[in-house]
Amino acid sequence: MIEVNNLHKSFFIKGNKGGKKDKHNNVKALDGLSFTAKDGEITGILGPNGAGKTTCLRTLYGLLSADEGFATIDGISVTENPLEARAKLGIFPDKFGLYERLTAYEQIDYFASLHGMSGQTKKNAIEQVIEDLELGELAHRKTVGFSQGQRMKVTLAQSLVHQPQNFVLDEPTRGLDVMSTRVLRNHLAKFKAKGHCILFSSHVMQEVAALCDRVIIVANGKLAAQGTPQELCDLAGETLLEEAFVKLIGSDEGVAA
Amino acid sequence: MKSNMNLHLIQFKALILKEYREAFRDKRALMVALMMAFLAPVVIMMMSKIMIENIVDEPAVYIKFNGAAYAPKLITRFADNNILDFSDVPKDKKAIWEQRNIVIDIPENYATDMAEGKPIKLHLQADFSDKAVQTPVRRIGNIVSRFSNSIGYKRLLLRGIDTRLLNPVKLIKQDTAKPDATFMLISMMLGIYLMMAAFMSGLSVAIDSSAGERERNVLEMLLCQPVSTLKIVIAKLISASTISIIGVVLILVLTSLSVGFVDLTKIGATFSLDLSTIAVLLLLLIPICFFASACQLFVAFQTKSFKEAQSTVGLLIGIPALIPVVVSMMDDRPVWLNWLPIAGQSMIIENIFKGVDINWLAVFATSAVTITITVALVLALAKKLKSEKVVMALS
Repeated sequence: MIEVNNLHKSFFIKGNKGGKKDKHNNVKALDGLSFTAKDGEITGILGPNGAGKTTCLRTLYGLLSADEGFATIDGISVTENPLEARAKLGIFPDKFGLYERLTAYEQIDYFASLHGMSGQTKKNAIEQVIEDLELGELAHRKTVGFSQGQRMKVTLAQSLVHQPQNFVLDEPTRGLDVMSTRVLRNHLAKFKAKGHCILFSSHVMQEVAALCDRVIIVANGKLAAQGTPQELCDLAGETLLEEAFVKLIGSDEGVAA
Repeated sequence: MKSNMNLHLIQFKALILKEYREAFRDKRALMVALMMAFLAPVVIMMMSKIMIENIVDEPAVYIKFNGAAYAPKLITRFADNNILDFSDVPKDKKAIWEQRNIVIDIPENYATDMAEGKPIKLHLQADFSDKAVQTPVRRIGNIVSRFSNSIGYKRLLLRGIDTRLLNPVKLIKQDTAKPDATFMLISMMLGIYLMMAAFMSGLSVAIDSSAGERERNVLEMLLCQPVSTLKIVIAKLISASTISIIGVVLILVLTSLSVGFVDLTKIGATFSLDLSTIAVLLLLLIPICFFASACQLFVAFQTKSFKEAQSTVGLLIGIPALIPVVVSMMDDRPVWLNWLPIAGQSMIIENIFKGVDINWLAVFATSAVTITITVALVLALAKKLKSEKVVMALS
């Protein structure tokens, strides 16, 4: 379970006005964001570019510390106990790269070991995730020259190999072909059935509508709306989630007005 | 508690294994890194060959004599000492000696003045500030004064005077320097070279595993994992300094092999890199390897991009290149200088090559200070990696 409570975070931008600290130089990325992602559910975060999604997720990983508020993973505070909290997380970050001089198998092995797996357990887990994500043919090739989709798969494999209780995925389907997207969806659905907590951000509305049990809409660093896709459509009086999304955001930003 | 220990071990093993894999698989960077090591024996052999030639053989010197016909005996004496007339210069060296342009004027009345016992003035013209001219000029001076003395002694002897009267006080020189000290320049160069190699060899690995990883977006992934930043930093440090230690060991081995091919006995040097010397040098240099890599990682993580890292970290090579030179030029060295990294080691290495007995206290003191600074750098870097600033530099 992932819980985010009243997060505030602002960044100081250098060089705007002679480097002086004033309100114009401060970018408020998070402005009291709160939500909960429950076990056994897939929670989607929706929001326009710059709404604070990545900042929120980075706070969850413990890379950024919030100015105010807190985030917990399975009840463990990410600021007080980042290593333990991260051990319960599988992370697919916003930006990712591969170690191009390692093979796919070695990378997955590396991350599995970082999560403390070893011996036969580790071996089995790696074989399993490679099979699940249909990476078999690529496993023993160096990752230099992998296509975008293949890179995504390796990154997914390395974030899922230790079967974390909580998955956080930042736009996991960008650049994936239809087949791979389906593989990923099935994978996530399987983990959901097993009672894992899955939190992912996306810009693809059909995907969110098809996959998510609950949707959280973030705008201007605040929670704009939340509920099941159907509830959100009802709330906005639209039939399509996309329309509902634009309306719910727009009311805040003056786009729809 | 035991499972906790186990977790640390598994993580640490994985981190180091991965750093090693990346470092050793980048063959091209590795070759560049170890280039210094492979060049060392070549450079040192060439340098010693040239030096020995200059010291031992008296290479032919070509001089423009004006009035050579007036003093045939003097010219023969010059020729015996390989100082020849410019007209005999071989074609390939003509330009060099034309440029050095050493001229000796022998006066017309040389023979008559000699017969009458009058002082004769020979004029030697050359650009004395030119280093290449200094040795020939010194040789000419020696030959002329010896020639002049021998004639003078003969004159006195003919008049029945003991020539010892001319030398009431005689200075007898006893060289107490150990034979090795004659080889100082090469040994000092080797010392600087070794320390530069400690900095150079690990350089590419240090930059690649810090600024390079950040540029390739893999650092963020790593920082999100349940691993302490201290472990990450130590793993990177071990990997980079391993390469730098390999570089240093290669230099030592290759140099000790190649020095055997140069006949140093010609200049009375018994320079040798035996096993015990190599062991002491390694004891001194291994802390430097760690220190160098720690400095490089520390600086590389502060920079904003890979390119900036390359140029900034490159400047660090100035430390091992300049400090030993500055230290060796200082006459009154403050005591604390002996304990600083690089400065301390460079003085000890200088003494080792001089053949002076090793001051073990200094060895351990300077090693301890070097290791302490390295540890401080590692801890500071581990703390820095936790801060938001580094994360902000990610995007």
